[in-house]
Amino acid sequence: MHYEFNNRIAAQRTILRLVNRKSFGTEQLFGLSSKAIDRWVSVNHIEPSARIVNLVRQASSKLFFLANKSQQQISEEYSIVQAEIAATRDEIERELQALSSS
Amino acid sequence: MHIYAFGSVCRGDVSFGSDVDLLAIVHGHDSRFNTEDYSIYSYERVKEIWSEGNPFAWHLSLEAKLLYASDRLDFLESLGRPMHYRECRQDCERFFALFQEARESLKLHTRSMVFDLSMVFLAIRNFATCFSLGKLPGPDFSRNSALHLGAYNLSISTETYDVLERARLLSTRAVGPPVTDYEAASAFAQLPRIEEWMINLLKEVPKLCTTNSITV
Repeated sequence: MHYEFNNRIAAQRTILRLVNRKSFGTEQLFGLSSKAIDRWVSVNHIEPSARIVNLVRQASSKLFFLANKSQQQISEEYSIVQAEIAATRDEIERELQALSSS
Repeated sequence: MHIYAFGSVCRGDVSFGSDVDLLAIVHGHDSRFNTEDYSIYSYERVKEIWSEGNPFAWHLSLEAKLLYASDRLDFLESLGRPMHYRECRQDCERFFALFQEARESLKLHTRSMVFDLSMVFLAIRNFATCFSLGKLPGPDFSRNSALHLGAYNLSISTETYDVLERARLLSTRAVGPPVTDYEAASAFAQLPRIEEWMINLLKEVPKLCTTNSITV
């Protein structure tokens, strides 16, 4: 349990590395807070409704949910959300491949 | 439901980069609260962290200010002081691990550079806070806790410290100018000094840290 925090950080890092593999403009995605995502979209003139933006927001929302999981002490639910984050990460990877080949 | 403010706004050490930290204590799940604006805890979890002597419990106990109480009572005050802080060593080791992971990532990748620098700042800050809570007469929960440890202060250049803090603000509140490659390289060169500081402070913290020395 002690290293749950570090695990969430590692999950964030994995997603950032994935997204920043593709250049969307002048600035990388610096974090997965809403404000960091808003800045990334705005500075790089990315279409706010683009699928990649939605996927990144999904990942962000799930990670923040885990950070606040203490409002619901259900370890099973924690595992489900962890699996959802992994699935979203895979979806981001597929979307980036699609964007690169289009 | 209880709502508290904590952090810099309660200490009066506000700056351009500081925001307002809010805690909501609720029964079960309460979807009215945005998890980015609030730390959301159940009453049971708050009682648990009190009994664990968790650093966040101490932070709240010593600094939080009640903003709203549905029952007009100060729930946190009713809990008294948290139990002694016993996990200083483990917490410091955890933040040392966080620092090392960020450092390894910076060595290998540039694609998460700002985030990794931000994690170095977070590791420094949390390490220093836990150290102050477990080892020093008065804990320091401020953003710059690593610079408030007296003889144990972190000694790195102001420029590097500023770059790390800027990275933290960029990755969380998304404010400030981007970190340049030159700035990142300069900060990276100072990481061994930060590692040495953490290793030296870890030597001061016994493996079984059974009491803290808080004077309040």
